[in-house]
Amino acid sequence: MKPKASSRATITMMAAAVAVLSVWSHPASAQVAGQWKDPNHVYAKICSNCHDIGVGPVIKGRNLDPDYYFQVVRHGMRAMPAFRPTDVDDAMLHRLAETLSKSAPPGGPK
Amino acid sequence: MSSKYIALPKGVSEKSFDAAIKEYRAVLGEANVFTDSEHLASYSKIMIPDITENHTPSAAICPASVEEVQACVAICNKYKVPVWPISTGRNLGYGSAAPCSRGQVVMDLRRMNKIIEVDAELGTALVEPGVTFQQLYDYLQEHKIPLWLSCPAPSAIAGPLGNAVDRGVGYTPYGEHFMFSCGMEVVMPTGEVLKTGMGSLPNSNTAQVFKWGYGPYLDGIFTQSNYGIVTKMGFWLMPAPPAFKPYVIRYPEETDIVDIVETLRPLRMAMIIPNAVVIVHALWELGSFLKRSEHYPGTGTIPDSVVKDLVKKHKVGMWNVYCGLYGSPEQNEVNWNIIQNVVKASGKGELLTAEQVGDDPVFKYRADLMQGKMNTAEFGLYNWRGGGGSAWFAPVSQARGSETLKQMDMAKRILGKYGFDYVSEFIVGWRDMHHIVDLLYDRTDPAQLEAARACFDELLTEFSKAGYGTYRVNTAFMDKVADTYGPVKREINRKIKRALDPNGIIAPGKSGIWN
Repeated sequence: MKPKASSRATITMMAAAVAVLSVWSHPASAQVAGQWKDPNHVYAKICSNCHDIGVGPVIKGRNLDPDYYFQVVRHGMRAMPAFRPTDVDDAMLHRLAETLSKSAPPGGPK
Repeated sequence: MSSKYIALPKGVSEKSFDAAIKEYRAVLGEANVFTDSEHLASYSKIMIPDITENHTPSAAICPASVEEVQACVAICNKYKVPVWPISTGRNLGYGSAAPCSRGQVVMDLRRMNKIIEVDAELGTALVEPGVTFQQLYDYLQEHKIPLWLSCPAPSAIAGPLGNAVDRGVGYTPYGEHFMFSCGMEVVMPTGEVLKTGMGSLPNSNTAQVFKWGYGPYLDGIFTQSNYGIVTKMGFWLMPAPPAFKPYVIRYPEETDIVDIVETLRPLRMAMIIPNAVVIVHALWELGSFLKRSEHYPGTGTIPDSVVKDLVKKHKVGMWNVYCGLYGSPEQNEVNWNIIQNVVKASGKGELLTAEQVGDDPVFKYRADLMQGKMNTAEFGLYNWRGGGGSAWFAPVSQARGSETLKQMDMAKRILGKYGFDYVSEFIVGWRDMHHIVDLLYDRTDPAQLEAARACFDELLTEFSKAGYGTYRVNTAFMDKVADTYGPVKREINRKIKRALDPNGIIAPGKSGIWN
C-alpha cells in the first residue's frame, strides 16, 4: 500500500529542511476548478494570454451577453480551445461571464 | 436508437453503462461525472482533420486523487468501459481532450493538480497531471526559487506531465522533456500503483535524482502508450543561469536550410549552443502575426513570390534561427565570439541580438520560450488561415542539411497539391531534428477539412515510404503511423498491452495499440 501523498510530502520536507518545499496544499498557485480566487484570477491566468495580446479578439467592454461568454468558453470557437468544467466550474464561469459582460474596454471607458 | 447518452463505449450496453456511471458517481460525487452534451462539448472540441463525431466521448470522469483513479479503474474493469486519460488536455494539434475513438470515457485528471514537492537545491519537482506550466511557474516565482522550466509553445495552459508523457519538446537546454523526467507513479490497469526507478524502494529519497533504478527501465513504456495512468512524474529543472542572451540568425533563401544545419550542427553537438534551437520558416514567423487573407486573395497555396515579398516587407528571414546562450557573462562572451566567427565564416546569415532586434513581438515570444516563460503567442498562427483547423505533421530528420532540404521539398510538394501552406520549423536536437509542419486549414469548410485529411494521409504515406517516421501524431492517424513502424513492433506493443491490461480498458487505440 503506498503511503499517502500528504504524509510523504511532509516527511520529505522535514528531512530536507528548507531545501524541499512541500507545496501541495499551497493555495496561491492553485489554478483549477474550485481553487480560483475570483473571476479576475481566471482572466489573468487563462483568458488574458490570448485576448490581451491580439491573438484572440478583445473580450472586455463588448457589452456581450453573459450566456454568450459561457457558451464560447465551454464549446470553444474556431481556434479557441474549449475549457472544461475541471478548468473552471459552472459557478465561477457564470461569475466570469457576468464580470466580462459588465467590463469596461481595455484602457478604460471610451 | 435513442439513448440518454450522446455516445456509448463500444461493446457496452446502455444498461451496463448506467451501472458504471452510477458507481463512478458514488466514488467521485455527482459533480465530477459528466454525461450531458453541454459539459461534454468541452471534451469534444478538436482541431484535427477528422469529424468530431469520431471522437465524441460517452462521459467524463474527474478523479481528484490516486485512490479515486484506482476506484475508477476497478469500475472500468468490472463493466469493460474504456477510459481515455488526459492531463490538461491541451494537445491541440494532436487531438485536444477528445478520445481517439467514439464512446470512450474521458478520465480528466485536471483536478489532480498538486505540486508535491520542489527541491530547490537539487533542482527537481514532483507534480500531478493537472498541474499547468503556469501553475508551476507561478509557484517558483512566488517562492523565489531560481529554477527554470522548459515548456512547449502553449505553455500557460498546458502541463509538464502530459507533455512529457507524450514526449513533447521545449526550447531550453532541457527541451527534450521526457529525457529530463525522473520517476513516475503509475496506476496500472489492475489498480496496482507502480513507482518507477528508485521510487519502488520504501523510504527512498532518490526517486527524482536517479532515473534508472534497478532492472529494466520501465518509464518509456508509459509514454505515448496505454499501459497505465501516470499520476505523478518527477522532473529536473534547470538552474537559472546568471546570464541569458537570446539571438536570432536570419537567412534570406529557402535553400539556405542546408548551410544553416551544416553550420550549426557542430556548435549544437559541442554544446556551444546548448538549447533546443529552432529554425523557423518565414510562413511560421509571419503567420504568427499576419492574416493570410489580407496578403493573398487566392484559395490555394500561397505562391513563393508572395512569401518573398512579405519577407522583405516585414524584414524577417526566409529562415529564422532562434538560439540562446546560458551561463555567466564571461562564458557567454566566449561562446558568442565563437558563434559570431562561425556565422561570419559561413558567408551567410544575419546575426542579431535582442538589442539589435528592438521591440519585435515575435523575437520576444521566442526569447520567452527559450527561458521557459509563459505565453501563448504562438496561437497567433491559427489566425493565418483561420477557421480553427490544425494538425501537426512531425517527421524526424537527421540533423544534416541535405536531409532537411529533401524533407522540405517533399512537404511543400504534397501540401501544394492540396492548396495548403508550408508553415514549418525544425527543432534541433543533438543529432536529430523534429521537422514540425502545422497543417493549417479552415475547419468550418467541409471541403478543406476533407482536403486536410487527405493531405495529412499522403504526407504520412510519402514520408514513411522515404524512410521518415513521425515522432507523434494526432488521434485520427495513430493506426496508420503504428503501421509505418512495421508488424513486429506493433505486435510486441499488443502483447505488452494484453499482458498488462487484459480487459483493454486504458485508452484503446492510443499509438495504434489495441488488445
